[in-house]
Amino acid sequence: MARIGITWSFTRAAVLPLAAAVWMTGAGTGFVALAAYKATPGPALRPPGGWPAGTALQPGARFTLVLFAHPRCPCTRASLSQLREVLSSHGEGVRAYVVLVRPRGAPAGFERSALWASAASIPGVTVVADPDGAEAERFRADTSGHAALYDAAGRLRFSGGLTSSRGHQGDSPGQDAVRAILSGRASPGGARGDGAPVFGCPVQDAPAPPVEEG
Amino acid sequence: MVCRSGGHYQRDLAAVRRGADQVFLWVLLFQWAFAIAIAVLWSPRGWAGKVAHVHAHVWAATFLGAAINALPVALIRLRPGTAATRTVVTVAQMLWSALLIHLSGGRIETHFHVFGSLAFIAFYRDWKLLVLATVVVAADHLVRGLISPVSVYGIADPEWWRFLEHAGWVVFEDVVLVLACLRGLKEMRQTALRQAQVEEQSAALDRALSELGDSQEAMVRAEKLAAVGQLAASVGHELRNPLAAIRNAHAYVSRRLAAAGGELKADARVGQFMGVIERELAASSRIISDLLDFARERPPRLQPCPLRPLVDEAISVVPPRAHVKVVNSVPHRLPIPNLDKEQFRQVLVNLVQNAVEAIPADRPGEVAVAAAGGEGAPFSVEIRDDGAGIPEELRSKIFQPLFTTKAKGTGLGLAIVAGMVNRHGGAIRVESEVGRGTRFVIELPARAAAAVREVA
Repeated sequence: MARIGITWSFTRAAVLPLAAAVWMTGAGTGFVALAAYKATPGPALRPPGGWPAGTALQPGARFTLVLFAHPRCPCTRASLSQLREVLSSHGEGVRAYVVLVRPRGAPAGFERSALWASAASIPGVTVVADPDGAEAERFRADTSGHAALYDAAGRLRFSGGLTSSRGHQGDSPGQDAVRAILSGRASPGGARGDGAPVFGCPVQDAPAPPVEEG
Repeated sequence: MVCRSGGHYQRDLAAVRRGADQVFLWVLLFQWAFAIAIAVLWSPRGWAGKVAHVHAHVWAATFLGAAINALPVALIRLRPGTAATRTVVTVAQMLWSALLIHLSGGRIETHFHVFGSLAFIAFYRDWKLLVLATVVVAADHLVRGLISPVSVYGIADPEWWRFLEHAGWVVFEDVVLVLACLRGLKEMRQTALRQAQVEEQSAALDRALSELGDSQEAMVRAEKLAAVGQLAASVGHELRNPLAAIRNAHAYVSRRLAAAGGELKADARVGQFMGVIERELAASSRIISDLLDFARERPPRLQPCPLRPLVDEAISVVPPRAHVKVVNSVPHRLPIPNLDKEQFRQVLVNLVQNAVEAIPADRPGEVAVAAAGGEGAPFSVEIRDDGAGIPEELRSKIFQPLFTTKAKGTGLGLAIVAGMVNRHGGAIRVESEVGRGTRFVIELPARAAAAVREVA
């Protein structure tokens, strides 16, 4: 009987530490998973080194900044905020486009979202609809939030994302790089932060169909 | 006083902490609902091309929020007010700060949740919890600062000590809150002390009022008893002569009737009524004796008085009952105490008679008288019976004059006993158990008896 009592007391005494350990492990696992999700970038190919042929976008006299966005991606709100901040301080002489990609198979008007209005409200930005993602393909932009910066000579000076993690506002290597290039502080050989990871939604849900020859 | 105020302090502090637990129950649940709401409103769906899916923030707010709340809510419900509960609540609250900062995309405004949380935690008035909260914040900043500094500091390459700077501001608020906690505890101690003082004064006042009431009652009773005693002594004295005349007349008539023959002798009721007259005369004499004994309060005349023969004498006076055995257990070699023989005989008669009458009629019983002491030690005399016992609520009243539970009692017997024992410099106490019997113990301090003897 005494042995049973001791065992029961031990069991009761062990319940709270055990529950606390399970709780901390569960919460810790959740935070790690959330952090991993927010820190995982999307695929980002490097756009063409020169101004792409066939694009409907017109290059600017000094710099041309093109940001591709999925019209419904909540993470891209942060990218637009970052863009707004860059242009507000270094936007002089910069032609800026926000290209809202309508995915293949999406209905007409899909791109007319809250993000369109948000992008249009940024001074100096031209918002462009991109049906079926043709422009995105030309610039090899697969992930919403991908920015490409070309100089007056049509050379690609920056490619990457403007946020440091998914949907996260604040300083980021990509934003710093764009600022440095626009302010002339970056070396022509390449800005630190060029190639920053892009955090956002995939602009297409399936790869482009193969182009039939002839 | 210190003990009482400590009890008040602990009780009040426990109530404050249970109250804080209840506040946090709602705060935790509100934060959960709020997190789900902002996730659903701000980022309901993620997209891959034209395909939508539930956004990770919604899952995080729902399930990670539930995980954070699970243990603290369970402990608040199951073990409110405990140190373990408030410790878990504190950690959970700081985890909520981290989750809300995540869900808001690292908005700097959300960091103020940390400071609000510290203020809520201060409700517990336990400064150690503020230290724990600060450690959790510092650890979160340190770890996230190493993994993703922008998510915490808003810049990509902060100095290594930046987490200390953030923790420093938290410590700044901590200092204010710790001081508030300590001041709150001090005020609670002072309040508890004041409450204990008021209660003690109130209790003292109650005691004084009770004693005053008792004194007034005793005084009124004493005055009444004095008046009744004087009246009784006077009436008793006056009644003695008529009673003596009646007794003589009764004796004469009895003798004449015994000698007479004929119709009177043949009538059985005449002899029966003569017996009734004799018994009632004896009862009247006893009542008058009781009244006179009670009223006189004569100082004892102490003299060496062997106790065992005195007990035998007292037992012989008490009317016997067939089923009650009365035993004199006083040792033959008991040292001889100094007693007023007449008074102590009366004491023993009253106690033995009460004991004999306490035995129920439907079963046999025993009364024993024992004694011990002498040779410089106090004497104790014990009268024990295995009768019906005295209920606890009556024990304090049995020595009061005129209190009786008997149909024909005067209520003076035990009052006379107590008075006589007191005048011997002794004390009497009673121990009783209902259904098991009663034990009267008379204690006669040798020194007190000697003093009385000298006075006498």
